[in-house]
Amino acid sequence: MSKQPNFIARHEELPLKNNSTSLFLQIMVGIAVFLFAVTLSGVLAINTMLQNWNESILGSLTVQIMPSTDVNPEKAAAETIAHQNKALDVLRSLSFVEKADPLTDKQLEKLIQPWLGDGIAIDDLPVPRIIDVKLKRNVDIDFMDLAYKLAQATPMASVDNHKLWLNKLIQFADGIKILALSILALVIMITSGAIFYTTQTSLGLHKYTIEILHQMGAKDTYVAQQYAKRSAILAFQGGVVGLLIAIPTIFGIASLAHQIEGGIIGEAKLSSLDWLSIIGLPAFAAIIAMLTAYYTVKQTLQKLM
Amino acid sequence: MLTTNNKSNVIIEMQNVGIRYGQGPEILSDIRLSLRKGSFHFLTGRSGAGKTSLLSMMYLAQKPSRGSVSVFGQNVNFANRDSLALLRRKIGVVFQDFRLIDHLSAFDNVALPLRVCGMDEREVRKRVMELLQWVELDRSIQATPETLSGGEKQRVAIARAVINRPDLLLADEPTGNVDNDIAPKLMKLFVELNKLGTTVVIATHSEKLISDFAYPRLHLHNRGLRIFGPNDPTGMGVRHV
Ligand SMILES: Nc1ncnc2c1ncn2[C@@H]1O[C@H](COP(=O)(O)OP(=O)(O)OP(=O)(O)O)[C@@H](O)[C@H]1O
Ligand SMILES: [Mg+2]
Repeated sequence: MSKQPNFIARHEELPLKNNSTSLFLQIMVGIAVFLFAVTLSGVLAINTMLQNWNESILGSLTVQIMPSTDVNPEKAAAETIAHQNKALDVLRSLSFVEKADPLTDKQLEKLIQPWLGDGIAIDDLPVPRIIDVKLKRNVDIDFMDLAYKLAQATPMASVDNHKLWLNKLIQFADGIKILALSILALVIMITSGAIFYTTQTSLGLHKYTIEILHQMGAKDTYVAQQYAKRSAILAFQGGVVGLLIAIPTIFGIASLAHQIEGGIIGEAKLSSLDWLSIIGLPAFAAIIAMLTAYYTVKQTLQKLM
Repeated sequence: MLTTNNKSNVIIEMQNVGIRYGQGPEILSDIRLSLRKGSFHFLTGRSGAGKTSLLSMMYLAQKPSRGSVSVFGQNVNFANRDSLALLRRKIGVVFQDFRLIDHLSAFDNVALPLRVCGMDEREVRKRVMELLQWVELDRSIQATPETLSGGEKQRVAIARAVINRPDLLLADEPTGNVDNDIAPKLMKLFVELNKLGTTVVIATHSEKLISDFAYPRLHLHNRGLRIFGPNDPTGMGVRHV
């Protein structure tokens, strides 16, 4: 045994490292993670923005009933009340309205008191009536529907239009979000497709060696695990590079967005949890690569007896 | 003989086996064969008779086109993939074309069957070094197959086939490329393994080998199989198995 060298270098049975498909896989995953990170940051930012907006329109809302302009004050008051009742009927019929109550004369007096002073008889003046609407929590609120139905019921009612406008924005942002989510799904599909392809190519390249391993009694998992491990490593490496390019890009887009419209987009901030999920993307890519490679090998080896 | 055999003593059993490639004609037809544990057979037949095809069914590289093949008592048509893999670990194969892995050293090639089973690396080293010394390849442990001669490659292939002390050893022309002085030594290795209980089938064209060793012979001719007794080149003493 004296001739025996101290160290025998063990070579990889499947030399997956210096595979021509390795670089392709890394680049693919790099691009995928880059796209994914940028899109995901958009989704997350929109989410925060939506949450903030929702908070601000949640809870309550006021409906104004413009006073009737009839010359007869009594008739005018009665007409206004009639309009108010129509509006109340509509509001109370909506599923997301918890309750809708008109402000009492006293409350109204209190509201206009700073402008008109004490001792004002509300009934004698063409003051708008106000309905205080409490909205249910945790339900979808359709302001457009509310505004439409109110307008149908009475031309005198008007909703606080800041909220209306926000509601439109929310619906728009929701649409963008769905679009972005489908892009994310597409990126995942394309990535696993690329991994499927590179794994199959590599399996073809190493067909001879794999057949020998198979003949030596290697189970399919023996080969599949080597591919899974290799793919996971390559995907992680590619993913880290993609992420490193994505982070400054995200900051760049964020600062551009701030320049355009500080007010609204300013709310589109990423929380630390959001950042964590973006930073976790290379690991996520590695898991996808691992699973795809594993099952591709398993499936391809079925061809051998 | 078949009927009196204990099933667990039958290593290979073939019934009405036929094999064909693609849509071509049958290479082998209606093969009936039963190899008992610890038996030693030569496999002969002219080139193209189907020796490699018959062996490949035994080493579980292909299923018969028809009929049934049982290896270690398991019908290969019904065994699942993992149990087939476990059966292959009990089979040592010397391929006609060696099938060594070119990017691996002689050492790693021989170590393959042990590593595939997840054997401890220290034990792997010990066993492989021992065997490589025995086949006089200890100077070439680090050499890759490309740099080895035909005879050296063949010895690596044989070492890989026997490293796991297989229960079944199937060798396809194992002494075709080796010098006349090493051939008997390799045959002695097979004989020793056989004495330890390994069932052996050796495909060969070498009349010398057949006459030097008194083992029965499986002979392929006209798509069929005949069995000749030891030292019976005429086939007069045909036994039915
Ligand atoms: N993979 C294959 N595809 C198609 N035909 C094949 C295949 N393998 C073998 N054959 C054919 O089957 C027949 C038997 O081949 P086989 O290799 O079993 O013969 P053999 O007895 O081992 O010959 P040799 O002594 O030359 O090694 C031959 O006619 C060969 O052409
Ligand atoms: Mg042959």
